[in-house]
Amino acid sequence: MEQGAIFSIRLSLQVAAVATFFVVIFGIFIAYLLARRAFRGREVVDMLFTLPLVLPPTVTGYYLIVLFGRKGLIGGPLYELTGWTVMFTWQAAVLASFVVALPLMIKTTRAAIESVDRNLINASFTLGHGECETAMRVVLPLAKRGIIAGAVLSFARAMGEFGATLMLAGNIPGKTDTMPLAIYSLAGSGEWAKAHFMVFLLTCISGLFLYLANRYAKRVI
Amino acid sequence: MGLSVNLIKKINGFTLDAAWDIGNELAVLLGFSGAGKSMTLQMIAGLASPDDGLIKSDSKVYFDRVRKISIPPQERNIGYVFQDLALFPHMTVMGNILYGAKRADRDKNTDRAMEMIAAFGLSGLEPRYPAEISGGQKQRVALARALMRNPDVLLLDEPFSALDYPLRLEMRRFLKEVKSLFSIPIVLVTHDVVEACELADKMIVYVNGKVAQLGVPDEIIHRPVSPEVRNLVQGITGPAANPVFL
Amino acid sequence: MKIHILFYCVAVLFSIALVPAFAEPPKELTVSAAISLKNSFDEIGKLYESRNVGAKVLFNFGASGDLMKQIEGGAPVDVFASAAQKDMDEAEKKGLVGVATRANIAVNSVVLVIPASSNVAVKSFEDLRAGNIKKIAIGNPKTVPAGRYAEEVFSYYRILDAVKDKFILTENVRQALDYVARDEVDAGIVYATDATTRAKEVKIAVTAPDQSHKPVIYPIAAVKGTKNEASAKAFIAFVLSAEGQKILGKYGFRKP
Repeated sequence: MEQGAIFSIRLSLQVAAVATFFVVIFGIFIAYLLARRAFRGREVVDMLFTLPLVLPPTVTGYYLIVLFGRKGLIGGPLYELTGWTVMFTWQAAVLASFVVALPLMIKTTRAAIESVDRNLINASFTLGHGECETAMRVVLPLAKRGIIAGAVLSFARAMGEFGATLMLAGNIPGKTDTMPLAIYSLAGSGEWAKAHFMVFLLTCISGLFLYLANRYAKRVI
Repeated sequence: MGLSVNLIKKINGFTLDAAWDIGNELAVLLGFSGAGKSMTLQMIAGLASPDDGLIKSDSKVYFDRVRKISIPPQERNIGYVFQDLALFPHMTVMGNILYGAKRADRDKNTDRAMEMIAAFGLSGLEPRYPAEISGGQKQRVALARALMRNPDVLLLDEPFSALDYPLRLEMRRFLKEVKSLFSIPIVLVTHDVVEACELADKMIVYVNGKVAQLGVPDEIIHRPVSPEVRNLVQGITGPAANPVFL
Repeated sequence: MKIHILFYCVAVLFSIALVPAFAEPPKELTVSAAISLKNSFDEIGKLYESRNVGAKVLFNFGASGDLMKQIEGGAPVDVFASAAQKDMDEAEKKGLVGVATRANIAVNSVVLVIPASSNVAVKSFEDLRAGNIKKIAIGNPKTVPAGRYAEEVFSYYRILDAVKDKFILTENVRQALDYVARDEVDAGIVYATDATTRAKEVKIAVTAPDQSHKPVIYPIAAVKGTKNEASAKAFIAFVLSAEGQKILGKYGFRKP
C-alpha cells in the first residue's frame, strides 16, 4: 500500500476519533439539558443543534468559515492573539466532523435520557441526591446503550465527512486529505485503482460501525 | 416531630385544597383514584410544588409561599416509597440500599446497611438485582432504602396495591413494626378501606381534592359526615370495623 | 381533518415541482467552460440569447481538468472551452470533440496576487521564499491549468522546491483567488482576468513574464455526437465574432 493511502487512512481514523471524543462530551451535556431542563426556547435550541444534519455540507462549511476563518468572528481574534488559524489544518477536519456528527449524538442521547423512568429520577432526589449525582449515578448509566449507539454513529459519520471538511481544511495531500477527500482527488485525476481500494475500505469501516450502532441501539428499547 | 400540611394546587381544571396536621403517628390518606392523594405526597416530598400554602414539620419548613421558601427534594430528608417502588434496575440490592445513605462515612454506611438488611429479612440477597427478587422482597428493599438516612417523615404511595393478599397482610404487619422502630410521621396513601382501617392512627378522607373528614378510623366508619364519605367506607361493618384483625 | 389538508398541500407541492421536468424547453445549449471565463461567458451567453430568440445557454463552470473528465464520462455537454491547450488536446485524442470546430478564443496572463490588506513586501516571485509567506494558494495541478502554469513559473525561477510545502491546493482558480481575497493565505497564483474581478480585495504583486510558462491560450470546440451540433457551432462562431471578442477584451483577455 502506498504512503499516501496509509496517511489518509490514519488521518481519517485520527480525525474521527478526536471528533467523536468531543462529540460525546458535548453531546451528552447538551442532550441532558434538553431532556431534563424545560426552558424557554428549548425546541429552538434543539433545532439549531440539529441544523447541520439537514443543511447541505457546503452551507455548514460556509458558516464554519465565517466563524473560524482567518478573518472570522472567532478565527479572527484567535489569529490576532496567537498567530494561528484553523484553516488548512487537520484540526479543521476535526471541527467539521464535530459539527456534523454532534446532532446525531444529541438526538440519540436525548431520546435515551428521556426514556429513563421519571420515577427513578424522583426516587434519587428523595434519597438525598441532587441533579448532578442523579445524572451520573442513575440517568446516564441507564441511558448507556443509547449513548454508546450515538457515539458509534457519530464516529461513522465523522469518517465520512467531506463537504465541510473540504471547505475548511482544504484537500492538502499528506496533511488534511482524509479518506473521502483522497478518494475525491483520485477520482478526479483518474486514478481509479487507488480510489477503488479506499472506497472499499471506507465502506467496510462505515458499514461495520453502522452495524454495531444498530445492535446496541436495538437493545436499548 | 409532627407534620403540618396546607396546600392549594389548581391543575387542568382540578383543584386540590387540603389542610391537615399529624403528630408522630401513621396517617392514611384515603380516597378514590384521582382525589389528589398522590399529588399531596409529591408536594410534601418536593417533587411537585403547590400554588400556595405552607408545608412544615416541627423542625423544618419545606414550603412557604409567603416567605418564598421551597426546599428541593434532596434536602428535605423525607423518605418516599413509590407505587412502583422505583428500585434502580442497574444496582444490586446492596447498591440500592446504600444509595439511600448520606455520602459521609463509607464504613458506617455499610454497617448500617447490613443492619437494615438483617432487620428487613433480606440477608443473602445483597448481590441480587431487583429483577431477580420477589415482589415482597422488592417492597422491603424499597422501604429499607427510604429509611437509610433516618428521614424525618416517611411517605408511602399505595405501596402494597400490587401485592397479592397474603403478602399484603404480611407487609401491613411489617409496617407496624417499622412504625414502632422509627418514631416519625408516616403518611400512607391507599384506596383500600380495610388497609386504611388496620394501619391508621388517623384517617384523612379525600373527596375530589378536598379533605372531607379527618379522624380516627372508628369515627370515620361509624359517623361519616357526608354521602361521599359514607360511599367510600361502606361495606365496612361488622368484623372489619374492628381494625385489629389478621 | 388536518392530516388531509397536509396531504393535499404536499401533493400539490409535489406536482408543481414535477411540472418543469416534463416541460423541457427546446434549443438548450450546455457549455462547459473554464471557471476563469465565468464573467465574460455569462455576458456573452446573455447577448447570444438576445440575438437568437428561443435559444437558451446553460453554463457549467469549473476546473478544465474536471470538465474534461465529465465529458469523458458522458456528460451531456455541447461546447467545451478550457484554459489550456493540454485539456483540449486530451479531449481531441479521446475523440470527444470535433477537430474541425476547434479554435482559440483568448489569451491570458498569469499573476501573483496578495491580499489587499497585506503589508508583506512581495516584489518578485523569489520573494515567496521568505519566512513570512507561509501559505500560497494555487489550483491543483492535476486538474487545474492555472496550477500547472503556477508550477511552470516556479520552475522557471528555480524556486519550486523551496515553496512546494507552502502550497494550498484548490479545486479551481477562482477558489485560489477567494482564499487570497479572504486573507486565508499569504499569496496566490491566478489569471490577470481573475484578479480584476475582486480588485478591492486582492492586489497584483507581480505579473509572470510570458516566457516563464506555456502560453495561456484558451481553446474552444464542439463536443462530438450531441444533438445540438448546429447550435454549438453557432455559439462558437459568436464567441469568435467581433462582439464576442469585445466582451472578452472588456474583462482583460487578449486576442489569440
